[in-house]
Amino acid sequence: MTAASLPLDTTAAAARTAPRPDMLTYARLDLRRQLRDRMAMFFIVGLPTFMYLVFGLGSDDRVGSGNVAMYIMISMACYGAVTATTGIAGSAATEQVMGWGRQLGLTPMRPLAFVVAKAGLAMVVAAMPVSLIFAIGAATGARGAWTDWALGAGIVWLGSALFAIYGLAVSLVFRGANAAGIASGFIVIMAFLGGLFTPMSGIMLDIGRFTPLYGYASLAHFPLTSGYLPTGEQDPLWLPVANVLAWTVIFSLLAMWGVRRSRART
Amino acid sequence: MTTPAIHATGLRKAFRSSDGTDVVAVDDVDLTIAPGEIVAFLGPNGAGKTTTVDMLLGLTSPDTGTIEVYGTSPAEAVRLGRVSAVMQTGGLLNDFTVEETVRAIAALHGRTDRVRTVLDRARLGDIAGRRVEACSGGEQQRLKFALALVPDPDLVILDEPTTGMDVGARQEFWQTMRDDAAHGRTIVFATHYLAEADEFAERTVLMNHGRIVHDAATTDVRAAYGGRTVTFRPPASAEGADGIDPAWLAQVRRALEPLGVTDVEVSAASLEAAFLALTAENPEIPENPDKPGTVDLIGAAR
Repeated sequence: MTAASLPLDTTAAAARTAPRPDMLTYARLDLRRQLRDRMAMFFIVGLPTFMYLVFGLGSDDRVGSGNVAMYIMISMACYGAVTATTGIAGSAATEQVMGWGRQLGLTPMRPLAFVVAKAGLAMVVAAMPVSLIFAIGAATGARGAWTDWALGAGIVWLGSALFAIYGLAVSLVFRGANAAGIASGFIVIMAFLGGLFTPMSGIMLDIGRFTPLYGYASLAHFPLTSGYLPTGEQDPLWLPVANVLAWTVIFSLLAMWGVRRSRART
Repeated sequence: MTTPAIHATGLRKAFRSSDGTDVVAVDDVDLTIAPGEIVAFLGPNGAGKTTTVDMLLGLTSPDTGTIEVYGTSPAEAVRLGRVSAVMQTGGLLNDFTVEETVRAIAALHGRTDRVRTVLDRARLGDIAGRRVEACSGGEQQRLKFALALVPDPDLVILDEPTTGMDVGARQEFWQTMRDDAAHGRTIVFATHYLAEADEFAERTVLMNHGRIVHDAATTDVRAAYGGRTVTFRPPASAEGADGIDPAWLAQVRRALEPLGVTDVEVSAASLEAAFLALTAENPEIPENPDKPGTVDLIGAAR
């Protein structure tokens, strides 16, 4: 801006050029609000950390290129990260439907900027249980090759984005204030079916292979286990990949259907 | 000629209802509002006020018709911060504090400099640190008003701003509004409280069944629809279990006709009930109805 143009800026006309939304400040306020939600943060960070301490601590039996503690550490980080993205995406959808969206509709912010801010928030919060549980694991005897650590953490963190789509879809399909709660409830069931809390075998394993958390978690375990399960069977790499891709498509279609349905009402 | 704050022609909007039929919410509405005017949208629930407001804000687009807000589209006017609103259905986030809510919206407007100003203007300074969920309905409504002031708009639209407030909170809210109107903003508000239009608006637009049925200075509307009423008490012998004896009423009508009285109506109605009756089907004063049970106004029948 040149000095010559300064006097113009004080006129009414110049004051009415479109202002620029400060998304960073908005995201920071939203993050602070999220962190203040003790209940949500307990399920995102507290519970999976506690479960790692109970089930994983000191389990030094060998698994693939590392030990059981490493395996359980990855499982619990998956659970924490997924709970974070599901909850945040779910409540983002609920906020929109419950009227805050109309409040935001009266600001110059573009809808895409809101989606980006919420996605950023979800990924920041999802990083918390992953880094905390991995740090505790590293300090308490989880062992594995450095690729198991790096790839494991990366897949757990980035893969949790899939469950943001899931949280969005569930909240759009079950409209209302408790939609985010429903989404988190299903996550617990899917975590059991996906073998996050306890190893499965037989028919439950056959069913579990088709559930969304199974593919995501076994992909995160893959560098460590090379696909070997606690039962001794081995999953080929394409199985978790296909699982994740299939559920990405399913959740995306559900979310799109939900968006279309919620638009039709207004 | 200056650009009008609002210039709308031929607005029409229909919705598909749950049983599949089309419901016309707004039908052929023409409206021009000059800068600096204070206008009340008056009408019963379902008259089309909220739909009209949504279209003025660009939240819904009309099926047919055009809207200009300060010479641009509603969405553009919102983006430029020229128009802002307190919406009936606009929600707040319960776990933000009052100040955080204002700061969040101010950030999105790129106007973080206005946080203090609007908190003061809406008299929220004392409760800035309180969580939204701990605020009373009146306080939440004042917070929404503060949010509307953030972009320093030229036009503020208020949709049923005092819904759910008790009498005290309502008075306090309008006091805040009145202070702000003194700053020269254009204010359009929708209400179904006749008294609010009466006290606050210079001009009243009466809506019913999606149409504008009357648009004039508030004093004229009052004269046309309120007027003065004469109340009298019928003799006990004319009162039955199901209201006033129709034969006796007919007698009264005949007796009053030479005096120029065109109608006799029975009820213990309030001003608002009277208004609702007037807007129920027909904008004109109802023609001499025959069944006393359907009649309203004048004549205390208790």
